Amino acid sequence: MLVYKSLAHPELVGTYVQPFTLDERLAHSQQAIKELGTTMPWLVDQMDNRLKHALGDRPNSEYVIDPLGKIVRKRAWSNPGEVRKDLEELVGKVKKTTLPEDLKLNVVPPLAQSAPKGDLAPIPRAGLFPIVIKPQLDKDGDLFYAKLRCEADPPLIDEGKGKLYLGFHLDPLHRAHWNKLQKPLRFELTAPEGVKLSATTGESPKSSSENDSAPREFLLDVNSWPADKTIQLTVAYDACTEDLCHSVKQTYVLSRQRDQDGGRAKSAGFRVLTLEQMTQRLLAGDKNGDGKLIKEELNSIQQSRFLDYDFNKDGVLEKDEIQTMAEQLTASAESKE
Amino acid sequence: MVPGVVFAQQKKKASEEDFVKEKPAVGDPFPDLVVYDPKGQEVKTSSLRGHYTVLTFGCLT
Repeated sequence: MLVYKSLAHPELVGTYVQPFTLDERLAHSQQAIKELGTTMPWLVDQMDNRLKHALGDRPNSEYVIDPLGKIVRKRAWSNPGEVRKDLEELVGKVKKTTLPEDLKLNVVPPLAQSAPKGDLAPIPRAGLFPIVIKPQLDKDGDLFYAKLRCEADPPLIDEGKGKLYLGFHLDPLHRAHWNKLQKPLRFELTAPEGVKLSATTGESPKSSSENDSAPREFLLDVNSWPADKTIQLTVAYDACTEDLCHSVKQTYVLSRQRDQDGGRAKSAGFRVLTLEQMTQRLLAGDKNGDGKLIKEELNSIQQSRFLDYDFNKDGVLEKDEIQTMAEQLTASAESKE
Repeated sequence: MVPGVVFAQQKKKASEEDFVKEKPAVGDPFPDLVVYDPKGQEVKTSSLRGHYTVLTFGCLT
């Protein structure tokens, strides 16, 4: 059973962003089920991530519960091979082991944005961390077609002086895009007395494309922001769906506090490995040091790709097969950057 | 081996060991909370009793 929770890596695949409402999180879980083509049962955590918090706050942890509701196994990272061993110990061996390829999963690609990315250059966000924001939700109000992603550097989070990133990212669930004939996105910040901001208002540049989906981003300098005071942000924008442009005005409250459920956006936390590093990472599992890899010597993600690289189907990845796997994994990671 | 890879492996091992020691530990009751199924129907985690259940956390990205 899978438990769906907040995104660990927003914007990484399919440009997904953190949902603001339970309906959006449920839509995410339904999309995840489609993408994986799975028929496994799923649970969806509440928007405050209470089950994740109650169980150690890890993005990919795994628990086995016995029939009395007692925890009998736990691990920080899911490991299908280890779970199989757990179940053999707890329940018994199966006559025929089901392999991933036996499931013939009907996987589908992630949701795409409804317009090309356009030509606005992204703001680099290395070293920034998400901070807590509260969107002011109104059940009769407009959808949050664009969602604020707010990040800060450690000096701002710790001492109230530093960089503040504001990014308005279109949510692919709502199929909206920017149109250059509409007014650019505008924001306004209202801060407590004494807080110094390098700008209290801003207007996004326009893309040269007629329609685009690039986030509208701003980087501000902030000084003297007390930890116990919030900043209010109001944003106005036109989000265009297939047949209509929606003029939207929405408000957020920003807190100078790290959002532990915010996840790390791709440019902030990911490092692409070189080919040599990727090869070393694969060979790190080579327990007997023979320079070859059997499936059990790989991690769960690598195991799911094992058959793609075992070209001679002998159940072992030899040097040339490991090299090909490393090349393709490196190329795949680079394409996501 | 690349130093960064060794460091990452050591960190992961330490993280796993810390996690296993944290509450709730093996032998503790699974927390009784309300969550949802993907259609939005409430589900109590206590309803998982009666058989062995594997629960894995995940998300789209």
